[in-house]
Amino acid sequence: MRDMIELSNLHVHYGTSHVVQGLSVSAARGEVLGIFGRNGVGKTTLLKTIAGWLKPSDGSITLEGERIDGRSPDRIARMGVGFVPEDRRIFPGLTVEENLTLGFMQASGRSSAANRAALEAIYEQFPRLRERRQQAGTTLSGGEQQMLAMARAMVGEARLFLIDEPSEGLAPMIVADVYRIIRNMKAKGSTILLVEQNVRNALDVCDRFLAIERGRIVHSGSAASPTDTAKLLQVIAV
Amino acid sequence: MHDALTLDARANHWLALALGLACIGTACIGYAIGDTFYLRLATEALIFGGLALAVDILLGYTGLLSLGQALYFGLGAYVSAVTLIAFPSFWTAMGAALATGLFGGLIGGLIANRVRGVYFALITFGMAQVAAKAIYNTRSLGASDGLIGVPVLDVNLGIVTVSTASPVGFFLLALGVVTLLYALCSYLMDTPFGRLLIAIRTNEARVPFLGFRTTTLRLGSFVLASCVASLSGALYPMLRGFVSPELLFFSTSGNAVITVILGGVGTLVGALYGSIIFTIVKSVIGSWTEHHLIVIGILFMAVVIFLPKGLMGLAQPLMRRMVHRGKP
Repeated sequence: MRDMIELSNLHVHYGTSHVVQGLSVSAARGEVLGIFGRNGVGKTTLLKTIAGWLKPSDGSITLEGERIDGRSPDRIARMGVGFVPEDRRIFPGLTVEENLTLGFMQASGRSSAANRAALEAIYEQFPRLRERRQQAGTTLSGGEQQMLAMARAMVGEARLFLIDEPSEGLAPMIVADVYRIIRNMKAKGSTILLVEQNVRNALDVCDRFLAIERGRIVHSGSAASPTDTAKLLQVIAV
Repeated sequence: MHDALTLDARANHWLALALGLACIGTACIGYAIGDTFYLRLATEALIFGGLALAVDILLGYTGLLSLGQALYFGLGAYVSAVTLIAFPSFWTAMGAALATGLFGGLIGGLIANRVRGVYFALITFGMAQVAAKAIYNTRSLGASDGLIGVPVLDVNLGIVTVSTASPVGFFLLALGVVTLLYALCSYLMDTPFGRLLIAIRTNEARVPFLGFRTTTLRLGSFVLASCVASLSGALYPMLRGFVSPELLFFSTSGNAVITVILGGVGTLVGALYGSIIFTIVKSVIGSWTEHHLIVIGILFMAVVIFLPKGLMGLAQPLMRRMVHRGKP
């Protein structure tokens, strides 16, 4: 089966700093791939490069066989890549529902009835957002903003989700909610690249993982393998 | 069920209705007492209110500070004047001004949208200065003296014919045009396009990750604002019978920005209220002292410090409560 996403010999620079150094990895359709490592090793850079925020200096990125590296972020989003960034980045001037409806663009061929149904499905999964649908984004708590950012990516029925540090700065109870949502996404067959510092939580939802150190993969394995995960924890010194 | 922004927009519509009724009341009183001066002044306030609407689309919704919106206002005025001298038809003049706004806005937008923030402000300022100086030095457009001899028109509106020489008639015609511009802008700002402009203002970097091209949206906003400014400017030579390069000067653009801040940024109706207050203050204080700019400057500082949301920051919540009293 063709991979959903394939990165081949990817290099990314921030000015003179060589952040991602020849990284090659792929994820199959429906797979959840965990990307772990210490701060500053290039995890977020990797996601931003896939999303089109940064241009790779070398290598290729293909989405179901189609090259997407070098394309603009809006084009990549319309091709079905949903990005949930670390800082959530909701639109504070808009209400919850307006934030969600902006996600429709990623499913631009859909009818308005289908859009409505997709919104209802999101509200079923995120009852808290339904309660707050008319509230401005600024009035939401950190956890609710995270939910909104994830829901907005989901409403567009992306083929691939890039989720960056979903538990960052959230209370343990909210983190459990966030991971419940990610498990739901996985159960529906979504492909997810999950960058996370909270490795133990993340391993529960991941199929495979890789550990990055100074822009290179230093370890990879199956999340179901105790040997692989033990080595992972050792490598990233958790 | 309506969201908070739609409710704000509805409160604004009631404020716009109140303004419209006040204008009609002014027209009735002006007609009854045979006034010319104050009706002409009120007409000028409405015309510059159109320019302020354009500034508010950019500043209040898209987050772009234009220091050169007078470019499109002035171009609309000149195109209207030239058209009226050659072919005295209201509709032709308005059509020509609209075409100027579209074409000029497209060119200006493509240039100005290459940059952000203070650079955007400086580029819009620069473009207006270039055009103003070009007109200032063009003899066929009257150079520094401006273009005079714009004829009085009889505007056929189907059921009634309005003469631009009639203070009350032209005041109501200008009110009709500005109301249509307000309604159009208000409608567009309440659509997904308007919401995207707000999204750009609050978090432009995030918008492309939802599949939207921000340059196209910003260009759309710029062209809309230039058309609104140009159509408003087209009315100016019909009111005054002449146009001059000062219409494109920074003072015109700067006054429009002050007007929007005075009325309330991002409300649209605030731009209209601001324009009326600004024009009255400028005229009344200008009749007492030639140093009226000092008073306007102090007024502007006071509003920024004590009323950061402008007059609408006071009026909008009151109107919203009145409109939605008793509703869940």
